[in-house]
Parts: sequence; structure tokens; C-alpha cells
Amino acid sequence: MRGQAQPVASSRSSDELRLRAQPSELKLARDYARQAATAFGFDDDGCYEFVYAVNEAVTNAIRHGAPDARGSIRLSVSSEADRLMFTVRDWGRFATSLESSASTSAHGRGFALMANLVDEVHLRIEPEGTIVTLSKICATMCPS
Amino acid sequence: MGSFYISEDVTHDGVVVLAAGGEIDYEASPHLRKCISNHLKAGSTRVMLDLSAATFIDSTAIGVIANSAGRMSEIEDGSLTLVCPSENDKVLQILEIAGLPAVVALHDSRDEALTLLAGDT
Repeated sequence: MRGQAQPVASSRSSDELRLRAQPSELKLARDYARQAATAFGFDDDGCYEFVYAVNEAVTNAIRHGAPDARGSIRLSVSSEADRLMFTVRDWGRFATSLESSASTSAHGRGFALMANLVDEVHLRIEPEGTIVTLSKICATMCPS
Repeated sequence: MGSFYISEDVTHDGVVVLAAGGEIDYEASPHLRKCISNHLKAGSTRVMLDLSAATFIDSTAIGVIANSAGRMSEIEDGSLTLVCPSENDKVLQILEIAGLPAVVALHDSRDEALTLLAGDT
């Protein structure tokens, strides 16, 4: 149903994906997140929520961040016990979007949605760039 | 462009019916904005946006809808109406988390929305 063809500029290592900082790459980010969430054991709703939050984080990086010298932003997935983590790294500064994070603004809406759909949203601002990490507990993996 | 598409119709009452389907993300939301904007510039006052076939809607598209609703509320007799049936529970959940029903009238079906729009005139 979904095309898996990747543009030449995108490349994937074992757990990392570099995307061009362009809106046309968002579908690849969602596919990447969906595959990771499915493989980790999330059910349909959990996958949708994880993918949704990833899309918001990557959209923010494309809109407000800056790519590296090769024009890329960097996505990665990792896991720890029952948590699946997604990280997006760009080389810009996120401060302005945080300052306007009132719930009515576009940024605020995106953050509110992310925070609602995953268990943790972590933002790290470094001199050379911004790292956003999303973390979601997989309930279907560890029944109580 | 991903799976996004939009179709446009006008009812005999003059209501512009836009049906947006597929994934409405940051690549697609400028097209949605332009489409609504074009109808406003052409003098349309009542626009209905049907999201029945949408599988995904991101915060930038929700922003377009909220801003368009704001613009239309400033026009005399202007209104933007949203349709998203309960069966499309994933998109509906997102609209509700984003608080969109507080700023845009949301209906379960086109018929329901059009009946109410007809009653407004």
C-alpha cells in the first residue's frame, strides 16, 4: 500500500535515518516510525500515536530547525525495557518556537498533541543544535 | 506529495464543499490553506470541509482550519464547518485533543452539516 522507495539523499543505517529537511520527507519519517513501532509490539492505536508524535517532532525540525552541512536532519529509534524512544536532531535553535508555545499557537498545538500521545517529550538545546526525544511505553508488550 | 487529495464542489445553496482525503501533513497543509483562501477571495461565505476520507491530520493542517475559521467568522454570514464521522475515530481523536471543536462546528455527516447550514440562511 505504501511506497518504500527512498530518495537518493536519504540513507538508513541500522537504527538511524537521515532525511533532507523538506516536507516531502515526512512520509519517510512516518514509515520509519511505523515500522519501528510495529516491530516493537505496539498495537494499532499505539502505532498511530507514536507515528503521530514523530511526525510532529520531525515537522518542527523541518520548519524551525536547520539541517547539517549535507542538508540532513537525523532520526533514530532506540528502546529500553518497555519503552520505545525516537530522537530527531537538527542543527538549529528551537528557542523561538518554545517561547511561543501558547496552546493556541501552531507550535503549542503540536507540542500539546505530542505530549498527549507519548509518555515523555524531552527537549535538549545544545549550542550546535536541538535534540527532541519522544518516549512511549508499550502496554501491549508488557501486560500487567 | 503523499496520499493527500482535495476535491471541490458547490451545492445548489452555494455552500462550498471541500473533501480532503489521505494524509494531511505539513507538505499538504499549504494546499489546503490555498484552496480555502481561494474560495474566500472568490466571495464564498460558507465552506464545509469534509475529513471523512482523511487518514491523518497534523498540527499545521489543524492550524489552517482554525485560522480559516477565524477569518470566516469575521465575514458577514461567514462560516467554516467541519465534517468528521465517528467512524474516523483516529482523526476525530486528534481534532479533539487539539481543541478544534471549540473553534469550529464539527458534524458527524455532510447531511447533518448541510441541514444546519441551510437553516442558518
